[in-house]
Amino acid sequence: MLITTVSPFLTSCDSGKDTQVKTPEVSAGVFVLNEGQFEKNNASLTYYDFTTGFGSNDIFLDKNNRGLGDTGQDMIKYGSKLYIAVYGSNTIEVVDAASGISLKSFSLQSPRSLTAANGKVYIVQFDGHVAQMDTTTYAIDKTIAVGPGPNKSVIANAKLYVANSGSFAAKDSTISVINLSTFSETKKIVVNLNPYGEMQADSYGNVYIVSNGNYSNIPGKFQRIEAGTDKVTDINIPVQGFVIEGDNAYIFNYSVDFSTWQAAAGTSTITVYDVKNEKKLNDNIITSSSVELTPYSIAVNPITKDIYLGTTDYSTKGKMYCFDSTGKSKFSFSTGISPSKTVFISKK
Amino acid sequence: MHNKTLKEVTVNGKNIQIARAALPEQLKTEEEISTLNATNVADVAKHFSGVTVKDYGGIGGLKTISVRGLGAAHTGICYDGVLMSDMQTGQVDLSQFSIENISGVFLFNGQPNDILQPARMFSSASVLSFSTQMPDYDAKHTLSGHIALKAGSFGMYNPSFLFAKNLSEKIGISISANGEKANGKYNFLSNINPQGHNYIEKTRENSDVTSLRTEQNLIYRIRKNEFISLKNNQYYSERGLPGADIFYSTSATTDRLRDKNFFSQIQYENKVSGYLQYLFSAKYSSLNSKFTEINPNYSTLPNEMRIDNFAQHEYYLTSAVQYRPNTNFAFSSSLDWSRNDLFSNSNISFVADASPVRNTGLANFAGKYINERLTIGANMLYTLCYETSQTGTPSPNKYKWTPTVSISYKLFNQKEIRIRAFYKNIFRLPTFTDLYYHDFGYKDLRPEYTKQFNVGFTYIEPKPLFFNELECSIDGYYNRITDKITVVYGMPFSTVRNIGLVDIKGCDLNLKLGKALNKRINIQLNLNYSLQFTEDKDKNSVTFGSSLPYTPNNSGSASLSIRYMKLELGYNLLYAGTRNTGSINTSTLKPKLMTPYGDHNIYCKYSLGKFSINGEILNVSNTNYSIVDYYPMPGRNYRLSVNYKF
Repeated sequence: MLITTVSPFLTSCDSGKDTQVKTPEVSAGVFVLNEGQFEKNNASLTYYDFTTGFGSNDIFLDKNNRGLGDTGQDMIKYGSKLYIAVYGSNTIEVVDAASGISLKSFSLQSPRSLTAANGKVYIVQFDGHVAQMDTTTYAIDKTIAVGPGPNKSVIANAKLYVANSGSFAAKDSTISVINLSTFSETKKIVVNLNPYGEMQADSYGNVYIVSNGNYSNIPGKFQRIEAGTDKVTDINIPVQGFVIEGDNAYIFNYSVDFSTWQAAAGTSTITVYDVKNEKKLNDNIITSSSVELTPYSIAVNPITKDIYLGTTDYSTKGKMYCFDSTGKSKFSFSTGISPSKTVFISKK
Repeated sequence: MHNKTLKEVTVNGKNIQIARAALPEQLKTEEEISTLNATNVADVAKHFSGVTVKDYGGIGGLKTISVRGLGAAHTGICYDGVLMSDMQTGQVDLSQFSIENISGVFLFNGQPNDILQPARMFSSASVLSFSTQMPDYDAKHTLSGHIALKAGSFGMYNPSFLFAKNLSEKIGISISANGEKANGKYNFLSNINPQGHNYIEKTRENSDVTSLRTEQNLIYRIRKNEFISLKNNQYYSERGLPGADIFYSTSATTDRLRDKNFFSQIQYENKVSGYLQYLFSAKYSSLNSKFTEINPNYSTLPNEMRIDNFAQHEYYLTSAVQYRPNTNFAFSSSLDWSRNDLFSNSNISFVADASPVRNTGLANFAGKYINERLTIGANMLYTLCYETSQTGTPSPNKYKWTPTVSISYKLFNQKEIRIRAFYKNIFRLPTFTDLYYHDFGYKDLRPEYTKQFNVGFTYIEPKPLFFNELECSIDGYYNRITDKITVVYGMPFSTVRNIGLVDIKGCDLNLKLGKALNKRINIQLNLNYSLQFTEDKDKNSVTFGSSLPYTPNNSGSASLSIRYMKLELGYNLLYAGTRNTGSINTSTLKPKLMTPYGDHNIYCKYSLGKFSINGEILNVSNTNYSIVDYYPMPGRNYRLSVNYKF
């Protein structure tokens, strides 16, 4: 059953009243972490329910009587919980995925990205560390140094790969490889300058990373680190962001309209790349004119294989578009500012 | 240095000059300033109608003023006849200017009405002008001045002095100093539920300030109405920048700003002849600021410290001449040249220092016709701007002609009721930060234009029924901003573009009432109210259809002072209605609005001979509010000052 447009979400409590909110309970749906704007305390957590087509613009605020904080950077679901890295507020929130209620919240310096394995959540901190958090005690067991400027991370081949983009002073170009059983850095792989962009792994253990160069004469690149050999090769496809599901990488890109600094109208594309056979399958599967704002993140529902493209104008609004795996438009809904991560919840 | 017009304004105790002004003027005299619970010029400016002060809180927090919704970069700030400029940011921080030596503060919509001015005075959309006064020669009393000590909440100490000595009939000198120190640690309530109420008590950290301003003046009176004056001014401050209140942050920010500024200006003025009058001025200024931040994210820097240094210099020359063939006509022509440069040096910047140099030439031609009932004025300003940069291509050169016309007419012979109107078209050049230093500067930025239309009435009642003084004015205006220079956000960094077409409609009301009872009690009441509607009409703008941030529809101020012999009591109110923050409410996805606030202040002053003692309570109702979202203002706090005047 196709739903083309979505009615506006139920609004939350009237300002000034402390009444409990009429938010639907979480069953099957999607959580979207919205980054918000720097120093505006407007990070938020959108919940959109597949069954009812309703949801909440900020289920975190509804359920916890407090805002998520400043700059929601990353979110993962592990077990029955959501872990959220709130970079500007320097906090980690552990949220019950079934209700949206925060179970634990603690301070941690500059958290950028999260991965999880074996009962531990690994938190990459921009000041040059990775912290290992135990999911039963919520305590940080151990912290190791990586860096400088580590940003995205991914687990593959039973190892944790962390991209060191460099600090504000000097750009770096390495990937730290961390052995999960010893939780120590075993090697550094050299890639292109400033690997600040998206990082994902395929089911064969290959790791893919987007680097940004120096924004002038050294361009960014989309590269693969081969499983086993750690050989780095370039993939000649322009990438703003991507996600890997099965054997397909869904890559979004756009041209910048120089006068507005947003995506130029009608230039947003989703390219499909076959990671197993290492070739591009399709230049663009979506109708570009349907995307109004600038693409910011991409995710795939592992059950339905639907593609979710998060878009924004960086300061006042966000919108999530849902396409089926062939690129046909299904529906869209409003999100907060800069939807950075999308996590899917299936029926229990 | 000598805003002589201040002395000419009162005729029979009424402000005729202001009533005749074709372009609206508002004035706070030295006496009125002392009734405002003010410490710096920004506090005084908050009491003018049409003014929105963007106050970032605290004693050392940045304070800039925007007039009629046009923005701080369009407000010219003039100190003793010379416009100050900051090419780097386009804004002058008014918290740096204490009211201790100030003899008057003017707000001019458009430009001052006096046409014998440097061309620069015609080049802003509005002008805030404040000045000091050197006492006239009096053989019996050659040394005058004051010594004051002020102390207040949050560890605030503010000693100051002024010594003015007339060495002879011709030569006078003065020196003054104003020092301030405060720890700035005030409590506030942080509401972590922007949709409702969930307050946690926090303390403002890293909000301390230490500053010192010193000034030396020399005047040489060649003959009556002809003089040369020289001023040197030094300013030093070191302060913490607390930044926005971030939810759940457990450590204070470490941002610090150190300013070392110096300027020197020399003026020659000759108004001896009734026909031909002229003035020349030259000014040199140097602004040096150092910004530091310690953050674990700067792990590769020594001491994890980021250091940004900026040095700006300005050389400025102006000459103006006025020809008055008879009492009704006046023509003036002014010529200005200024050279501004900026050097920057940062240990984290990955963009090379652009070292821009801007040469600006201004030529203004003005004419005025005045009679008892009618005043008509017109001027044309020519601006020439030539820029060079060390890296790449500089911003292209700009040449513009911009006009202003104004008229004021006394409607009835017997009554001082006037109707007035003005139209002004002016622009502001992009700042150096906009062009070269933003995350990504943009060299092709065009100037931002403003068109102002104003129609209003003024009324002075010399013999009001119940009061001793009654003056009021009402002005309706329409302003349009085109090519608004706006920060645009994107990945990976932000930049600036000309996006924005803004319509501003508003109305400013001023009322001044005075009443003397029993010859011993004197009551003064000043009220002003501003109504303003702003709308962003550019479809490309992310705030299309919204009102401009921080421009409330309703705002106003009230100031009441009662003097009984040696005792004076006063009450001041500042009010702002609902306003847009530019952010969004995360639950409704609608624009986030700030609730109205009222800032109530009271004082009690007792004078005994040359001494006076003044106790103030600020924010009497302990309202938890902020002017800029997440920059909290202090709750109830206190000040005590002792002043010795001689």
